[in-house]
Amino acid sequence: MELFFYDILIIGGGLAGLRAAVEAKKGGREVAILSKVHPLRSHSVAAQGGINAALDNAPAPMKDSWENHAFDTIKGSDYLADQDAVEVMCREGIERVIEMEHWGTLFSRTEEGKIAQRPFGGAGFPRTCYAADRTGHNLLHTLYEQVMSLQITVYEEWYALSLVVEEGRCVGVLALNFFQGKIIPIQATCILLATGGYGRIYLRSTNAVINTGNGCFLAYHAGVPLEDMEFVQFHPTSLYGTNILITEGARGEGGFLINAEGKRFMEQYAPHLMELGPRDIVARAIQTEINEGRGVEGEFVYLDLRHLGRAKIMDRLPGIRQIAIDFAGVDPILKPLPIQPAQHYSMGGIPTNVDGETPLPGLFAAGECACVSVHGANRLGGNSLLETVVFGARAGRKVCQKAKIRKSGPHHTLFQEHLRAFQSELVEIFERKATEPCFQLREEMKSLMTYQVGMFRKESQLKMARERIIELKKRLLNVGVKQRDLAFNYEFIQYWELEGMLHLADVIVEGALARKESRGSHFRTDYPHRDDAHWLRHTLAYKTPEGPRFDYKEVTITSYPPKERTY
Amino acid sequence: MRPTLLILRIKRFQKEKNPPGWIETFQVETRKGMNLLEALLRLQDEQDGTLAFRYACRGAVSGSCAMKVNGELVLACRTHVEDLLERPALIEPLPSFLVIRDLIVDMSTFFNHYRKIEPYLHGKPVSPQTEYIMNEDERREINTYIQCILCGICFGSCPAFEKDPIFIGPAMLAKAYRFLTDPRDQRDEEILKAVNNQQGVWGCKTVFNCVKVCPKEVPPTHAIIKIRRKLLRDEFASIVSRLFSLY
Repeated sequence: MELFFYDILIIGGGLAGLRAAVEAKKGGREVAILSKVHPLRSHSVAAQGGINAALDNAPAPMKDSWENHAFDTIKGSDYLADQDAVEVMCREGIERVIEMEHWGTLFSRTEEGKIAQRPFGGAGFPRTCYAADRTGHNLLHTLYEQVMSLQITVYEEWYALSLVVEEGRCVGVLALNFFQGKIIPIQATCILLATGGYGRIYLRSTNAVINTGNGCFLAYHAGVPLEDMEFVQFHPTSLYGTNILITEGARGEGGFLINAEGKRFMEQYAPHLMELGPRDIVARAIQTEINEGRGVEGEFVYLDLRHLGRAKIMDRLPGIRQIAIDFAGVDPILKPLPIQPAQHYSMGGIPTNVDGETPLPGLFAAGECACVSVHGANRLGGNSLLETVVFGARAGRKVCQKAKIRKSGPHHTLFQEHLRAFQSELVEIFERKATEPCFQLREEMKSLMTYQVGMFRKESQLKMARERIIELKKRLLNVGVKQRDLAFNYEFIQYWELEGMLHLADVIVEGALARKESRGSHFRTDYPHRDDAHWLRHTLAYKTPEGPRFDYKEVTITSYPPKERTY
Repeated sequence: MRPTLLILRIKRFQKEKNPPGWIETFQVETRKGMNLLEALLRLQDEQDGTLAFRYACRGAVSGSCAMKVNGELVLACRTHVEDLLERPALIEPLPSFLVIRDLIVDMSTFFNHYRKIEPYLHGKPVSPQTEYIMNEDERREINTYIQCILCGICFGSCPAFEKDPIFIGPAMLAKAYRFLTDPRDQRDEEILKAVNNQQGVWGCKTVFNCVKVCPKEVPPTHAIIKIRRKLLRDEFASIVSRLFSLY
């Protein structure tokens, strides 16, 4: 049996993973990145609108500061974010953004030649630094360039199948070389999960096809709880038809939301900030318009950019213009865009402290798969890119320290045992009588999540969803895998990812059912108000054979006591 | 009524099979607004789990799903099935690359070429607290070339590889220009020297294929011509200064 050995193994090649890898490699450690796709194909590449940092470059009546940024973030989170973590992010974000610029990110510029900043939802200042509307593309390519310059090893098109835990410590993974079909154990002193979100458990999602929430499931399966999973962000503006993201920057640059009656309906929902309300509020407003019959064809509303003019659209929003032309046949210079809300981001995830440490020693997490928690019940636009570079760097620094102290030789026997156990599970799957196709179950799960565990939730629907998930989990045992060779075995990967997705769906449904209040993205029509007395706390879900078991933990409040949230 | 049945003739390759290569015909029922990537994913789900191809973002930004469709090089996600319904569509892997399996090609040579230009900013000294100052015109000049998603389509369209397989390739020369023109990068000589040869800018046949096929509207040939001009200007200046030094 081959056994690979590293100080630090990073699973996921998006922004958080690459940023951590750069930090750890610069700290002198042996680092490898493992990713199911080439790093440049990671979902970070699709981020559009920008990255928040209080650089104070844009002209505004008052001076911006990281404290203002922290306040906006905490208020945006509906007071569920841990305030100490938010402070770290907003303070250190400034240097991380400057650093990305120094590494080559091509940010748009102000007249003085500084990094340009645009207004974004729920923010009191134009604080979102942007590279036209391709900020994710620019940041990801820059970090991949750094990874190349440091000659960091990347296992491209490999899957992490299982975490190896021994005596309460994560010591490695079983990895699949997808092109060769070989399972290779990789031992590492520290393992960092940076695997992104799980958007594909929803039918309507802005996420890439690859976003199946693997990392969260790996941790959950290994006994790590998942935090605040009921908080699922729905982006207000996804392109009708494909649900590809149309950046909040479009509204930041002055775009209007218009219903079928031609009205700017946001004046009824967020009279001060209008279209630039936070995402949870704007998404619910759009869905309410559609549900109450003021949508177009009962499905969408319009995002009107025509008044911005050709020059501004070409300069600031060329990416979404191209997307709208390619995927909806609409040029926003000439016609309003048909948009509807769609699942976009997971506020919840693997619980970590500000250094990426999870409750399981040896295991770290950063980026969307982690829950620090800086987003609480609702993330502000522009804060996810920021989170990846701030906490990616911090986790990279921490794993560096940890790997320096702790050294142990290769555990051949241990990995051999784990491999054997995993292979016997595989045999069980291969020998099943396959009576149901995998995709059928996946499609049922996705519809169920979009229609019953979406923006508006209530007990009867959630209970029905719970029953359906239990049923789907049972039916998963009727799904087989015909091909035994694991090389290019899409059937196996689909099956294995679906298993994980069903568990995550389960955690979301149960968490939503338990949380009898409305906060941020989690809106219960039967409990429409926030209830700080009972629910100002984080959810923790532990995996048991009977389904998730729940526990709760305190929210860290530093300087901002919870207040009513109006915009 | 418009036809809704999509007929795909897919060029397959699986090295353990005998013969390893064949053309297979599939039929997919389409719906309005569907793109080719969705159709392929559906095929993989419902008809043939062994069909191999790459995918990620489905929004033409990750550069994963480049392939040849009826002789044209495209991103599958950006290709509407409506345009393929008239006659059976021939789907092939990206040319100029080794095929690994079905529509998956080996991109390692592509990225090795990329590494050759040291594609990362060699920044001029700057205060760690502040960004480099750059004006919007400078940014726009770079921006045109920074859109490249490294999908490999330009490689597949480039005739220069027929003559010289170690030609560095259109995407890489566009990237080289991106760093050359970046006021923050301290290299000038190094980049110019690295591409001042037949494997670099002089290997290009300036047929503009890459400009035509790029799904992100990056014009590599324009970059190549700009680099050539700069090289010639520098050479001319050096000849002039040598001439003057004779007096």
